[in-house]
Amino acid sequence: MVRIPAGTYAPILRGADEPERVPVAAFLLDARPVTNAEFLAFVRAHPKWQRSRVSPLFADTGYLGDWTGDLELGPRAPADAPVVRVSWFAARAFAAAQGKRLPTTAEWERAAAAGFTSADGATESGFSATVLAWYTKPSPETLPAAGSGRANFFGAHDLHGLVWEWVDDFNTAMVTGESRGDTGLDRTLFCGAGAANARDLTNYPAFMRVGFRSSLRANYAVPNLGFRCAK
Amino acid sequence: MKTKLTIFLVALTFTTGRSLLAGDSPEKSRASTLLPAGEEKCACCAVEAPKPAAAPCCTELTPAAPLSARSIYQLDARFTDDDGRPVALASLRGRPVIVAMFFASCEYACPVIVDDIRRLRAELPAAVRAQARVMLVSFDVARDTPPALKAFRARMNLDDAWTLARGEAPAVQELAMLLGVKFKQDARGQFSHSNLITVLNPEGEIVHQRAGLMGDVSEAAKAVALAAPGGAR
Ligand SMILES: [Cu+2]
Repeated sequence: MVRIPAGTYAPILRGADEPERVPVAAFLLDARPVTNAEFLAFVRAHPKWQRSRVSPLFADTGYLGDWTGDLELGPRAPADAPVVRVSWFAARAFAAAQGKRLPTTAEWERAAAAGFTSADGATESGFSATVLAWYTKPSPETLPAAGSGRANFFGAHDLHGLVWEWVDDFNTAMVTGESRGDTGLDRTLFCGAGAANARDLTNYPAFMRVGFRSSLRANYAVPNLGFRCAK
Repeated sequence: MKTKLTIFLVALTFTTGRSLLAGDSPEKSRASTLLPAGEEKCACCAVEAPKPAAAPCCTELTPAAPLSARSIYQLDARFTDDDGRPVALASLRGRPVIVAMFFASCEYACPVIVDDIRRLRAELPAAVRAQARVMLVSFDVARDTPPALKAFRARMNLDDAWTLARGEAPAVQELAMLLGVKFKQDARGQFSHSNLITVLNPEGEIVHQRAGLMGDVSEAAKAVALAAPGGAR
């Protein structure tokens, strides 16, 4: 794991009376996403999380869908590639079994805001363009090894560029607008949330992440969505 | 562009329609198919039953049959009611249940949600209304103590069919995740949250969800009636 020092996180959406930056305490973060091999070891030790045994309440039918069996990875799920099609419940159970937890949104975004050579990627020439390029590029059929991307300033790999990642409090993301500029919330659907305003309309990837998180439910197991643990 | 963007756009479509919460879940069409067929009923679970937490003979049903794969009563989370007594979600097994999450100091939607549930109950046939229970679970781990919930009960004038519950953060989070409820505490300690009413059948499976405030509650009432043992019209 790598240490992410105490710092701040600037939410892309915030209420009118909320601070622009939220403090984030120091924490440890896995240097790369959890791999298929690691998740296989987990389901071997915890059979209730095997594909054929898991409750549909905790993981939908897509769960571990790239694997060829309960305990077989197969060609579409290389051992060293990030595990995807895992639900929030399964990711959380994996983390708990390692004595870890999932990072919060604030922690994940704090770590992911770092560039390659500085703590603030937004000010680093070329960093934002590199990140944006991933969001607009098709995903490969078979994912490359976790950790093969260039490390960021804190030593964490693949926060951008490989897979989406679960965060523990993904259900704090509430978006109803269909276009990236329309971030207002329908007050009949969400209590007390009408004041959320977009902070930085140019940070397209951050909007993508908010929109993506807001679309999830905890038992969804979807392609390109993996996770890493924190502590 | 394809994969990631497609997920994103599908995702956003999900969040835009209020049909989403009912429509995207695999449980959506189960309302009519999961009626407990002619199960024998525990006497105290029939009409005129007392408050669920005080109905031990209902919970005696539980060990008899394993929970269904989609039952949210699999959630092994502990809650406490406004009398400070422990409430297991599974203690509501055997009845249709209307669940919502709220916080007692809410000045906006939560009182409206309560009112919507009141209207929903008023639309139920009398026999179903007598069986159905309401479970309100608070987001506000810090402030919604049993006395605070008790005060909310008095203020909103809620009868014994309503269970008001609080839990520790992990229990609240897991229940919210199972129900698909989004919530977030702001700097002032207030909560933004989904306005969502969920109907559970007697097995604890989600058979209907209604997102939004005010307006028509007849679909939700129909779902409760269908879910009630022998209660379908
Ligand atoms: Cu509210």
